[in-house]
Amino acid sequence: MLKLSPIHKLPGIFLVVGFIILISLLKFTPTQASEPEQQTEEYCLSCHSNPDLKLTLTSGEELSLYINSDELQTSVHSPNGIECEACHTNITTYPHPAINYQTRRELTRVYYSTCQKCHPDNYSRTLDSMHAQAATAGNLNAPVCTDCHGSHYIHPPSEPRTLIPATCGNCHTQEFTIYQSSVHGNALTQESNPDVPVCTTCHGVHNIHDPRTQQFRVAEPDLCASCHANQEMMAKYGLSADVYSLYSISWHGVDVSVYQARWPTVQHNSAICTDCHGIHNILKPDDPNSSVNRKNLLVTCQKCHPGVGPNWIGAWTGHYKVSLQRTPFLFYVDSFYSIFTPVILWIFGIYIALQFIRFMADRVRRSL
Amino acid sequence: MKSQQNPTPSSPDNRVTLVRTFPRFKLSQRWEHAILLLCIAILLLTGLPQKYNTTVWSQAIISSPDRLNTIQQIHHITALVLSALVLYHLGKAVYLIARRKLPGDMLPTLQDISDAWNMLLYLIYIKKQKPAFGKYNFEQKVTYWFLFFSIGIMIISGYVMWFPETITRILPGGIVPAAIMAHSTEAIVTAIFIVLWHFYHVHFERLNLSIFSGWLNEDDMRTYHALEYYQLVRQPRADQVSGDMKS
Repeated sequence: MLKLSPIHKLPGIFLVVGFIILISLLKFTPTQASEPEQQTEEYCLSCHSNPDLKLTLTSGEELSLYINSDELQTSVHSPNGIECEACHTNITTYPHPAINYQTRRELTRVYYSTCQKCHPDNYSRTLDSMHAQAATAGNLNAPVCTDCHGSHYIHPPSEPRTLIPATCGNCHTQEFTIYQSSVHGNALTQESNPDVPVCTTCHGVHNIHDPRTQQFRVAEPDLCASCHANQEMMAKYGLSADVYSLYSISWHGVDVSVYQARWPTVQHNSAICTDCHGIHNILKPDDPNSSVNRKNLLVTCQKCHPGVGPNWIGAWTGHYKVSLQRTPFLFYVDSFYSIFTPVILWIFGIYIALQFIRFMADRVRRSL
Repeated sequence: MKSQQNPTPSSPDNRVTLVRTFPRFKLSQRWEHAILLLCIAILLLTGLPQKYNTTVWSQAIISSPDRLNTIQQIHHITALVLSALVLYHLGKAVYLIARRKLPGDMLPTLQDISDAWNMLLYLIYIKKQKPAFGKYNFEQKVTYWFLFFSIGIMIISGYVMWFPETITRILPGGIVPAAIMAHSTEAIVTAIFIVLWHFYHVHFERLNLSIFSGWLNEDDMRTYHALEYYQLVRQPRADQVSGDMKS
């Protein structure tokens, strides 16, 4: 008879041990222990669903205390059980503690810090941003979380994507207007294009930095390249994806890449994409208003090269590969050297090699 | 003209050997070569780090934007010196041509082609003898004319890159990127040519310092410039002291 060795009992042991582990996991995992005691919404709304409920602050400003309960249900927080008390931590019951804020803005700037409780990463990113710097410098209108995201009725900020420029445009009205008429903004508003950049694509989201610094400047070609060097995306719109690689071997591009790699903080003015194409107002090159349209190109070049003549625009190879049609001089030089260099080097190389062999052979023969 | 004592103190008879020397380059030509050598060396040293700006050695040289600026200034000043040298050289040639005094030794001839062919046959063991050469053999002519044209290309393309805004007032803009490419490529071809061709012939094959000293000894004359040597030795002319034996 076969004797059962311990090895045959292993599956059974595994089953038992696994079952014990499973049970213990289910038993002792703190199931949603962090969820606050949030049965507050219904209680709060019993008063705050009154549209006429308001408060006059010491500055004379009126603060509406009305909460639209229908809209609240569309917020990302309320349906997930994150209710009033999660943010209004100081209010637990009625009557409420007194409100001592002078202005609405003061209240906002105090209240928004509760976002930090659940969103510490994004909160600390904003502290590193241009907006936080503006606030530190004394501009209390510099945006805080709720200015972009809303307070009670918070929706995913990128749904729809067209909302993003509009949000930034609340303060940056001029840039928003210009952007809307650009090739990017136009595609976004007209066709809800999913590929064109919105504000945050280039400027970042929470830790938005000053785009006027030298670091931002030298890194800017890479920023454009993140879409414009993407073969697949550019093919959709019939655009060349070689613009960046051809730029980076051009006079401007080489200069910028050296400064970017080695001296990113040193002031340097070699042209980057936006110097010629524009920033928020980028248009298609064949648009007659485009700064890189053939008829406007000279004026654009003259921004950095004052007084150059009309021949000057021919010096720009225009993001195109070497070809007889577009860059005849470059084509001839390129063709010449692609033949001349190898021919010369092979002929001279072989001749010297033969001379060397004969020289050494003669020397060896003499010494024999 | 010049004599050299062969220092052989240990030889038993302690004979003094006289070595006849032949003038090969004038003082002005030796200076021209020295300045040219210096210019090319400085231009390569300041140009190559700019071309290969991503390499470690280049970044060691160009360690700051100020250093880059200095290097570009050195490059430009040296380019001016080289341009002056070229103008002097061409001016002298024009002057000599006008006076019908230009020695035609350096001009390429059909003889050079047959010399090159015979040299090739010699190198691949088909001919037993090297062809006999005159004052400048075809290798030296190739050196001269190759550098003549490549320096021409470097100077023209260099000035286009230096003053593109001015030059495009007259010439089409397309020559600017073409000049950048030509300058960059020609520099490499020239550098390789000098190292491969010129250095082999004047350092490795034999140490030929006549461009610095100005003279060649009799052995070298007989071996490498046989035609010139026999011409000088057999037909000594009154105006040409070169073949004279003086001690």
